[in-house]
Amino acid sequence: MFKHNFNYTLKTLFRDKTLIFWTFAFPLILGTFFHMAFSNIEKSEQLDTINIAVVKNEKYNNSILLKQTIAVLSNKKNEEHLFNTKYVTEKQARKLLKDDKIAGYLIPGETPKVVVMTNGINQTIIKQVVEEIIIKEETIKKVTEAKIGKYLTEQTQEDLGNLSPWYATIYQNILKEWGDEFKIQDISDDHLSYTMIEFYTLIAMTCLYGGILGMVALNRNLANMSNKGKRVAVSPCSKLKLILSSTLAAYITQMIGLILLFLYTIFILKVDYGDNLSYIIFLTLAGCLAGLSLGLAIATIFKTSENTKTGIVISVTMLGCFLSGMMGITMKYIVDKNIPLINRLNPAAMITDGFYSLYYYNTLDRFTSNLISLFIFSGIMLTISIISLRRQSYDSI
Amino acid sequence: MENVIEIKDLTKKYKSLKAIDDLSFSVKKGEILGLLGPNGSGKSTTINCILSLLNFQNGSIKIFGKEMRPDAYDIKKSLGVVFQDVAVFDELTVYENIDYFCGLYIEDKTTREKYIEESLRLVGLKEFQKFYPKQLSGGLLRRLNIACGVSHKPKLIFLDEPTVAVDPQSRNNILDGIKTLRDQGATIVYTTHYMEEVELLCDRVIILDKGRILASGTCDELKSLAHIEEKVTVEGISLKKEALEKIEKLKNIEQVLYGNDTLVITYKKGKNNLVDFIEYLKEKKISYNKIYSERPTLNDVFLELTGKELRD
Repeated sequence: MFKHNFNYTLKTLFRDKTLIFWTFAFPLILGTFFHMAFSNIEKSEQLDTINIAVVKNEKYNNSILLKQTIAVLSNKKNEEHLFNTKYVTEKQARKLLKDDKIAGYLIPGETPKVVVMTNGINQTIIKQVVEEIIIKEETIKKVTEAKIGKYLTEQTQEDLGNLSPWYATIYQNILKEWGDEFKIQDISDDHLSYTMIEFYTLIAMTCLYGGILGMVALNRNLANMSNKGKRVAVSPCSKLKLILSSTLAAYITQMIGLILLFLYTIFILKVDYGDNLSYIIFLTLAGCLAGLSLGLAIATIFKTSENTKTGIVISVTMLGCFLSGMMGITMKYIVDKNIPLINRLNPAAMITDGFYSLYYYNTLDRFTSNLISLFIFSGIMLTISIISLRRQSYDSI
Repeated sequence: MENVIEIKDLTKKYKSLKAIDDLSFSVKKGEILGLLGPNGSGKSTTINCILSLLNFQNGSIKIFGKEMRPDAYDIKKSLGVVFQDVAVFDELTVYENIDYFCGLYIEDKTTREKYIEESLRLVGLKEFQKFYPKQLSGGLLRRLNIACGVSHKPKLIFLDEPTVAVDPQSRNNILDGIKTLRDQGATIVYTTHYMEEVELLCDRVIILDKGRILASGTCDELKSLAHIEEKVTVEGISLKKEALEKIEKLKNIEQVLYGNDTLVITYKKGKNNLVDFIEYLKEKKISYNKIYSERPTLNDVFLELTGKELRD
């Protein structure tokens, strides 16, 4: 009987055009749309390298942070380096600017000065980088002062150019110690991609749309939900077996939808999901379970028509995906910053963040946390469903 | 004869409303029991309680001598149910639908194939077996609904208004099918508000209203409960007031209704009422188009018992 019900559930799910659209076709269409829309945006947002000059004076030699930062941002080994930097005299710099060979030049000093001739995005970027350096250098100085005491601080404040060697050593050590925090990092090796976030939310959406399959599969076994359910309920079949076989069929249908989505995005849209395939599969399986359990819970909690329940599953899923950044990555940051609890309860955010952490972080801590959250979410939803399903006969049907 | 169903003191309430009120009856093996009553009389609720689909507040239900429960799978194996609303999968063909529901009872594929063929023939859907439900007419869909409920050859069948909104051809097909099932040895509980079907099919009838049994017995036994003996209808007759008053004073007449050139006379008792009245009309030289006599129907019985029509 298990196999019989499983086979026919698969058959009915695959032949249901509405279900197939939402679980198979819609994610592919949306994926194509994302690819067309966001890949162009990303291309247009890639910056050209900015030509700048730095006046190599005595202050430049003493400004450790400035030297390091400019060096990192001008490192030609990095294909996407920000600056092409020439180290020149002030006179040469003026000429380069006049001849329009550089966007601006930098004169190191007590407060580094940026010289530009026009206003534009390149000039703004130079100014912002320098402002960032000034702020961070001030912070380091404050930390240094705190470390070596008031006496030495007063002495060194008189003339930063005459730092005693041991003061310079302490300054260097603090810079090393706090380096990661103060350094302006270039993360272009793991380039933050809007498209990737969109695809993560797309996978999350597809996982959660499995809820529709779960809901439909469950409805057909419930006497108070459908006429077919009444007919099934009077048959000599165990309710548990019927529900398990139907749910398994829904889960497999959902997985097939996701496999199609992965194949389409990887081989047609050329989306790179990274190297952690086993973790990706594991997260997807957990995501599908969360989606399915959400659908089962909605099927049992709401005593309304199948169409209304489908609407509820779609609405909950789309809202979850919206809050996790599907319609704009900013939303994810706004929610994370202001109401973090929402995305801790949001399965779409758990799935999206799981993929995100897998892609951008070397450790699995955040990934594991998301995975556990998904299992807890699924457990809660399944418990709600089981409690509702324990009733074998009804007060009204 | 052995009782297949035994119901004692069954009471089902929806909040303060009693849908079934202290109902007790039994169904004998091999008979067709008709549950007759207007909409809302408690017919479907009674069936849903018997099938353990609905909770009930009081009473006991035994099927094949065993107490019926939601998990009484040994009893459920022998049950077949055709609900009032069509319950089939739009995504499956006629054949697949029957196979699916039959498969919930019969695991062996070969036996199932044989049963499906037989049920397709029973309801006359053999030529439509590859059709999807959306391609079927309302009547054919009802036939599929029946096939899905009885293909596994159940010993006890519940048919809940299976002929609602079907064309005459399908209705005849369905009624013939039910007779065949009875001939094959099945016990049938048949709910309807069509008294003609009850008279045609049922060995015994229970008339329900407001969840209570108003009367039960064979059709003839029930008709004998009516106070009227005969109803004579004359069509295309033109009568003056004086003539009508004279007719009202004739022997055995209970009631006279006249309108639209139609005269309906209800006789309380007596024999040869029709012949006597024809003689009277001849004698008075009153012309008419058509005259016929009717015995009391179950509707007349229901009307007398409740003051309302079965189809109200």
